[in-house]
Amino acid sequence: MTEVRVPLDMWAEDDKTGSIVVWLYPDGAAVKEGDLIAEILVEKTTLELYAPATGTLQISVEPEVVIDKGQLVANIV
Amino acid sequence: MPLTAEMRREMYRQMVRSRAFDDAVIGLYWVGKTPIFAFANGPLPGELHCSNGAEPVGAGVCAALDADDMITADHRPHHVAIARGVDIVKMTAELLGKKTGLSQGKGGHMHIYDTAVNFASSGIIAEGMGPAAGMALARRLQKRPGVAVTFLGEGAANQGAFHEVLNLVGVMKLPFVAVVQDNEWGVSTSKKESTAIARNSDRAGAYGLAGEYVDSNDPDDIYLAAERAMTRARTSGGGTILELRTARLAGHFMGDQQAYIPEQMKQSDPIPPYRAKLIRDGVLTEGTAAEIDAAATAEIAAAVQQAMDAPYPDASEAFDHVFAMGDA
Amino acid sequence: MSRILTMARAGREALDWEMERRDEIFVLGEDVYNFGGIFGTADGFGAKYGPERVINTPISETGFIGMAAGAAMAGMHPVIDLAYIDFIGVCYNVLLNTASKTHYMSAGQVRVPMTLMIGTGGGYNNAAQHSQALHATVAHIPGVKVVYPSNAYDAKGMMHAALRDPNFVIYLTHKGTAGVGFMGPPIKTTLSEVPEEPYTVPFGKIAIPREGSDVTIVGLGMSVHESLKAADELAKEGISAQVVDLRCLSPLDRDGLFAAVSKTGRLVVADEDYLSYGVSGEVIASVVERDPRVLRSAPVRVCTPDIPIPFSRSMEQAILPLAGRIAEAARTAVKGGA
Repeated sequence: MTEVRVPLDMWAEDDKTGSIVVWLYPDGAAVKEGDLIAEILVEKTTLELYAPATGTLQISVEPEVVIDKGQLVANIV
Repeated sequence: MPLTAEMRREMYRQMVRSRAFDDAVIGLYWVGKTPIFAFANGPLPGELHCSNGAEPVGAGVCAALDADDMITADHRPHHVAIARGVDIVKMTAELLGKKTGLSQGKGGHMHIYDTAVNFASSGIIAEGMGPAAGMALARRLQKRPGVAVTFLGEGAANQGAFHEVLNLVGVMKLPFVAVVQDNEWGVSTSKKESTAIARNSDRAGAYGLAGEYVDSNDPDDIYLAAERAMTRARTSGGGTILELRTARLAGHFMGDQQAYIPEQMKQSDPIPPYRAKLIRDGVLTEGTAAEIDAAATAEIAAAVQQAMDAPYPDASEAFDHVFAMGDA
Repeated sequence: MSRILTMARAGREALDWEMERRDEIFVLGEDVYNFGGIFGTADGFGAKYGPERVINTPISETGFIGMAAGAAMAGMHPVIDLAYIDFIGVCYNVLLNTASKTHYMSAGQVRVPMTLMIGTGGGYNNAAQHSQALHATVAHIPGVKVVYPSNAYDAKGMMHAALRDPNFVIYLTHKGTAGVGFMGPPIKTTLSEVPEEPYTVPFGKIAIPREGSDVTIVGLGMSVHESLKAADELAKEGISAQVVDLRCLSPLDRDGLFAAVSKTGRLVVADEDYLSYGVSGEVIASVVERDPRVLRSAPVRVCTPDIPIPFSRSMEQAILPLAGRIAEAARTAVKGGA
């Protein structure tokens, strides 16, 4: 199992939080390492989250809730 | 009119009022827009183009205007509106879409109208040009005094309307001043990238107009140049392109991260140096400056509170004002 | 299950694919190079293709859209980004008298293959000069194809089709459907599973995103999604609503439209453009001039009334053709029917 975390360097400012706008694969979908799997919005900037491994995506954080850098948002099994 | 200490204090006061207004509405703008940013959310929805950095333009030019003069502004109107004396309480309410707003919630921040001070604005780039020339023409036909002053950005100087109208002004010798606010950026496009020559004021010769460029973003210099342009318009009816280097410190609109601006092009805030200059010149003391600052903050806080407390228009009011009342 | 895309990403993927392979395609518009277009239509293209093929223009729409038409006549395929359809006022002559008419006036000697991407629509408090739909104003011009995808699958397929078409194509996207950051979270029904390989969605064919038997709701752009919401609401009351997505205004699929409406015998048109002289009237006319007997009740239009779009939320939300008004119109159509 590989954890999918919001990269610590995804945005510079430590005081800002983000939010997942959309998962680009549904829960349970097969994903390949390097696939774009989610859009994350920080203020008005859209950032991209990529799959760190190949496997089945298990989403643990739904869109539109506050997330921090480093937070676990999904697993790939 | 020569620049007096009183006028300089007043210009400082208008700059500070404008900044207090923008800072307050920026704060309000982010309410309701996290964690997911959406233009439509919060008490202050829509796009918001703030004037931080351009305050010397509004203060300096408006100090040279008379009550009869007329203004058309653009999508970034706050600093001009405030210096012109647009009702700030009603303007704040308009930004919040309230019934008590200047336009009863119909216009929003890009569409500010206050006939009491001959002020209008449009959100379409360079669309202030033609109407301003027409206002100048009307005053001539009516044999009434009044110079038309249009405020636009340096990016707008590449629109057809800019050139067509300048030619008309030149041909008709209309009392007209085009204030080109050169903040170096049209959204993400630099002036260098978009404009074939360095200064739009140099285009004046092509239209039989006077051209002047002020590169200090200091209201003293801006006032003196505006006064020359207004005198020209009042005495000979000749038009001027008055181009003013200024700043756009809060981005094109709220949420613009401005990642496209290189470090060496970062702009500086014009208010602290003017404050220091007036203190140095003995026009203000630290104490009187602080009083002006505090009064502006308090005035805006009260305006925001009033606007927050005001009711929204009823949905049915959307159908009012499509046409003026009365038939032929 | 394959990956899901937003409309903005899907359209970009098609443009990118074609641009990689065809040197005649280039992008121009305000803020396309650094900013990727105000609504993300060319996000990342500046870095990938460089300033020769992703041209940041001055704010000179008459000039650069006219230039695009000329480049098209001279063998290129320009792709223009115009963020807001409200701005066509500035450059309408090129659309109305040049790009749309040159092929005809030259009896086919001169082709004008160009794609004009335009953002449309309101609902986010941007007031009367940045919120208009205005699709009828462009669809009224002979000699221009007008497409209006409302989901990511069509956004990609119609972009490929537009870029391969030898004509002037206006490619409309309602800003609220694009799935770009600052418009809020994407509407679920705009998201589609999108194949990675290229494909085209042919112009002039309606889509039926929801089947139903009691009433046909015809929408386009954002109104498709409001109609789908209305259909969910109606289903709870036992009313089965079919939803039609026009997705292409010119050519208009009158056959498909007639067949869809014939199935239910009741017609509601949901259109964010102004009520009068628009697509809503065209849809109804297209059905009744073929056979008025197909309708069991009077058709109902749900549009933006003939007023400028007000800024304040309380007024704007009341005048847009949103799900509540559409559902109410469907109830009226069903009650009025035999």
